[in-house]
Amino acid sequence: MRVKAWTQGRDVTLILVTAPAKDKGIVFLRRGREVWNWIPAIERNIKLPPSMMGQSWIGTDFTNDDLVKEASIVDDYEHRLEGEDSVGGRRCHRIRLTPKPEASVVWGRLVMWVDQRDLLMLRTEYYDEAGGLANTLLASDVRMLGGRLLPGRVEMVPADKKGHRTVMTYQDLVFDPPLPPWFFTTQQMSRVQ
Amino acid sequence: MILWLTWRNLWRNPRRTVITAASVVFAVVLAVFMQSLQQGTFDRLVRNVVGFHSGYAQVHARGYWDEPVIDNAFPANDSLSAAIRAVAGVRGLVPRIECYALALAGALTRGCRVTGILPAAEDAMTRLASRVVRCSYLRDGSPSVLLAAGPAMRLGIDVGDTLVLLGQGYHGGIAAGRYPVAGIAAFRAPQLDAAMVYLTLEGARTFLGADGLLTSLAVDIGDPARLGSIMAALAPVVDDRYELMTWQEMMPEIDQHIRSDAIGFYIWTGVLYLIIAFGIFSTLLMMTAERRQEFGMLVAIGMRRGRVAAMLVAESLLISLTGVLAGMALSVPLVLYVERHPIRFGGEGARAFEQWGFEPLMPTSADPAIFLRQSAIVLAIAVVTGSYPAWKAMRIDPVTDMRR
Repeated sequence: MRVKAWTQGRDVTLILVTAPAKDKGIVFLRRGREVWNWIPAIERNIKLPPSMMGQSWIGTDFTNDDLVKEASIVDDYEHRLEGEDSVGGRRCHRIRLTPKPEASVVWGRLVMWVDQRDLLMLRTEYYDEAGGLANTLLASDVRMLGGRLLPGRVEMVPADKKGHRTVMTYQDLVFDPPLPPWFFTTQQMSRVQ
Repeated sequence: MILWLTWRNLWRNPRRTVITAASVVFAVVLAVFMQSLQQGTFDRLVRNVVGFHSGYAQVHARGYWDEPVIDNAFPANDSLSAAIRAVAGVRGLVPRIECYALALAGALTRGCRVTGILPAAEDAMTRLASRVVRCSYLRDGSPSVLLAAGPAMRLGIDVGDTLVLLGQGYHGGIAAGRYPVAGIAAFRAPQLDAAMVYLTLEGARTFLGADGLLTSLAVDIGDPARLGSIMAALAPVVDDRYELMTWQEMMPEIDQHIRSDAIGFYIWTGVLYLIIAFGIFSTLLMMTAERRQEFGMLVAIGMRRGRVAAMLVAESLLISLTGVLAGMALSVPLVLYVERHPIRFGGEGARAFEQWGFEPLMPTSADPAIFLRQSAIVLAIAVVTGSYPAWKAMRIDPVTDMRR
């Protein structure tokens, strides 16, 4: 599957599916904590209800909630530096993230490995509230993308589904393209190319 | 001589004979009618839900029935299909792909059960085409849907309108599509009427992104009574990757309902038989009391007690036999009439029936076995109670019995 995504700040993201042909033209728009889904086959725009946020995002090991959640990594957790490890040959800080009591987070805790030199998140382990490992997010293939050093490959490995994983590879990245203010709107969803 | 005496005795008091015979007739008619009504109702339920929809047996990918989601579909397998068809008693095999989805029209949404079918094969087994009440049945390669009356009414759409289906496809993909409504179907089973949406097999596969997959193979068998032996023959054909289930396993609630109702029926008929037994017994008791003197006289003039008893047994046997035959003759037209013109319920009763998944109809079953079984039971009761006067005759004491 190939997608094209636009992001502005931390709050708005627009994702357009460009391949395979069956799913081509499907658009997801996130504004804050809300997600809309445009399905061209039925010419309808659906706002994902909270009940669907935990479901798989178009068959991947990411959930709809994962699209939204990124915004709150800084605000919704207490952070603690736990030590140092080596991930993929890079020295990393090991950081433990515990959700704040008032935060609406499904995880019990997160353990994150962040590259010391380039400040890249290279590995995150998601633990559920019972303390069991649920997902592992791996980032690798660090290279220059759109003029910045970033991991070109992100992998999501669910712990409970053997043999399952979702790999995301970045093909191209452009920073600060000119976007009109109305770009991240539901009206735009049916028109975006 | 005993037969001659018996015959004369019967006509000596025709009223008594007729009353006794009538109680037997009534018993036979009642027992036959109740049993045939019960069997007819359940036969119809099973035929409507099982015969006209699920099939008497189905093959799925192992684990599908516990978790009936599209991810538990299996690739169509020609050698498996051929092997199943080759089993004696299997009349046909109907491939399907099924899933739950949302049906949308305008601002209205309903959950529905989307079923992808091969129109011709489906019709051959379930006679789906005959359920179409408006416009046409699906054709191969048609991009349309056939809609049950329930969702059509709730969504306010009709033939020619567009139905939007939205659901989760194979491996979590988005399943979405727009389909013109080709026809509306009405089923005789409320649970089907409320939810069914039919697409062609290919149409449903495209909708779900599930190329070449099936969720179930419905096995059509000619004779439901042979289900057990056919299942035994199918078991070695279907390997580990699949599960083979009878309708009783797939729909235990219907099976259990029939079983529990059958037990209720046995209790009910037990009471009925008891009433019948006492009815016959009381006429016989009266008869023995009235004829005590006569029996005493017969023994006094030299007739052996055994012969008196034999005469009495022959009497009650003749009465019961006549009653049973007349009862059968009477119940046949009654049962046949109600088979053609089932008892239909209205109002609250009808709603209660529909909640149970029945149509509010009570037809009878004209299975000859019912007539024979019920008649045999009533006859047995009549013979057993009829042995009482004979037993009485064995202890006749002419001196006391002839006294007024």
